[in-house]
Amino acid sequence: MSAPAPSADDMKQWLKAVAEHEDRGAFGRLFQYFAPRIASFMERGGLNAAEAEEISQETMVVVWRKAALYDPAQAGVSTWVFTIARNLRVDLARKASRTSAGVAAMRELPMRLEASVEDMALASERDARVRSAMATLSPEQATVLRLSFFAEKPHAEIAKELSLPLGTVKSRTRLAMAKIRAILERDQ
Amino acid sequence: MITHHPSDFTLARLAAGTLGAGPQLVVATHLSGCPRCRRGLRSFWAVGGAMLDEAAPTRLSPDAFAQALRRLDETDPPAEPAARVLHPDLPPPLNAYEIGRWRFVPPGFRWRRLTLPESPDANVIMLKIAAGQPVPHHGHSGTEYTQVLTGSFTDSLGRYRAGDCIEMDEEVNHQPVVDQDGECVCLAAVEGRLRLSGWIGRLIQPLIGI
Repeated sequence: MSAPAPSADDMKQWLKAVAEHEDRGAFGRLFQYFAPRIASFMERGGLNAAEAEEISQETMVVVWRKAALYDPAQAGVSTWVFTIARNLRVDLARKASRTSAGVAAMRELPMRLEASVEDMALASERDARVRSAMATLSPEQATVLRLSFFAEKPHAEIAKELSLPLGTVKSRTRLAMAKIRAILERDQ
Repeated sequence: MITHHPSDFTLARLAAGTLGAGPQLVVATHLSGCPRCRRGLRSFWAVGGAMLDEAAPTRLSPDAFAQALRRLDETDPPAEPAARVLHPDLPPPLNAYEIGRWRFVPPGFRWRRLTLPESPDANVIMLKIAAGQPVPHHGHSGTEYTQVLTGSFTDSLGRYRAGDCIEMDEEVNHQPVVDQDGECVCLAAVEGRLRLSGWIGRLIQPLIGI
C-alpha cells in the first residue's frame, strides 16, 4: 500500500524542517517520495539499477545539505530536486570528480540572474501550470518532449518512434517544441 | 536587442542535461544575456520536475534509506569550486574558462581554443574575423552553435549581432559574412567533432588538429 501523494506544501514544509532543525523524520518523508522516483527517472535515461540508486541517494544527501538554499519563490520542490539529480547525472556521464568553476557558474546562472519581481511571483505557480499544460500535449508533442529529455540521440529516436524520415524530423521537432513552450508559458 | 535564440528543443536538452558540453557552454553564455531564454530554461526545468513526479517509483534496496542516513553523518561535503572570473571582458559562464592564446591563420582571421575541465574532448573555439570576411562553418557533423560576442555578421537568413545565438544545421548551406563596420568575435561549438568547411576551414583544420 502506498501513501497518498504529498502536496507541494507538504514537501515545502518537510524541506523547511530539514533546513531549520535537521529533522530526520521530514528527511525520511522526502526520501520515501523522491528517492524511488529519481531512480526510476535515471533508469529511463539509460542508467543501470545500481547507478540509478546511487544517483538517487546522492541527490537526497545534497537535498539534506542544501535544504537551506531552497527558495520557494524560484521553483517547486520537485523541480529543485530534479535540477540536483540532473547535475549529478551529468557529472557522472563526464566522470567529473568535481564540478569545475565554469560548470558551477553555468548552473547558478538562470537562478542568479532572475531579477524581476514579476518572474518571482510567477515562479511559485509555474510547476502547477506546467503540469496541467503537459496534460494537453498531443501524443506527437509528448513523444518529442520525452525523447529530448531521455534520448542520447534524440533526432534519430524521434524519427524511429514517429516513423518520420530523419530529414524532416528536425523541423518537426522544432515546431513541436515551440508549441510546447507556448503552451507552458501561456498566460504569462 | 537579441533577435536570434537557441531553439526550444536545445533549451529542453540543456534543462534535461542531454546537450553536449561544448554547445552547453555556448548556449549558457547566450542565456547570461537573454531573459527570454532563461525563462524558457526554467519552464523546461519545471517539465523535469513534473516528469519526476510522474515517474513510477522503482524498488530500492531495502537498506537504501539507512545508507543515505549513514552518508549524512559520514561524508564531509565536497568543497564548492571557487567562483572565479578569468576574463572580466567576457560574459559568464564563458569568463570562468581557460582560453588558449590567439592563433593567426589566414589574414583577417584568428582563433583560440577553450579548455573545458569538465569535458576535455569538447571542442569550443573563439573566432575573431575581420570586417567583410566569411565566417567558417562546419560540414556534416551535426548542429553548430554560434554565439556572437561582439560585432555582427549577415547571411541570407538575417543579421546576427552581439548577444545573438545561431543554430546551423549541417544541411543548411548559407555563407555568413562579417559586416563591413568592424571585426566580429564569436564562440562556436558543435555536438560531436568540430569540422570546419570552406576555404578557411580547410586551412585551419589541420592546425586545430581535430
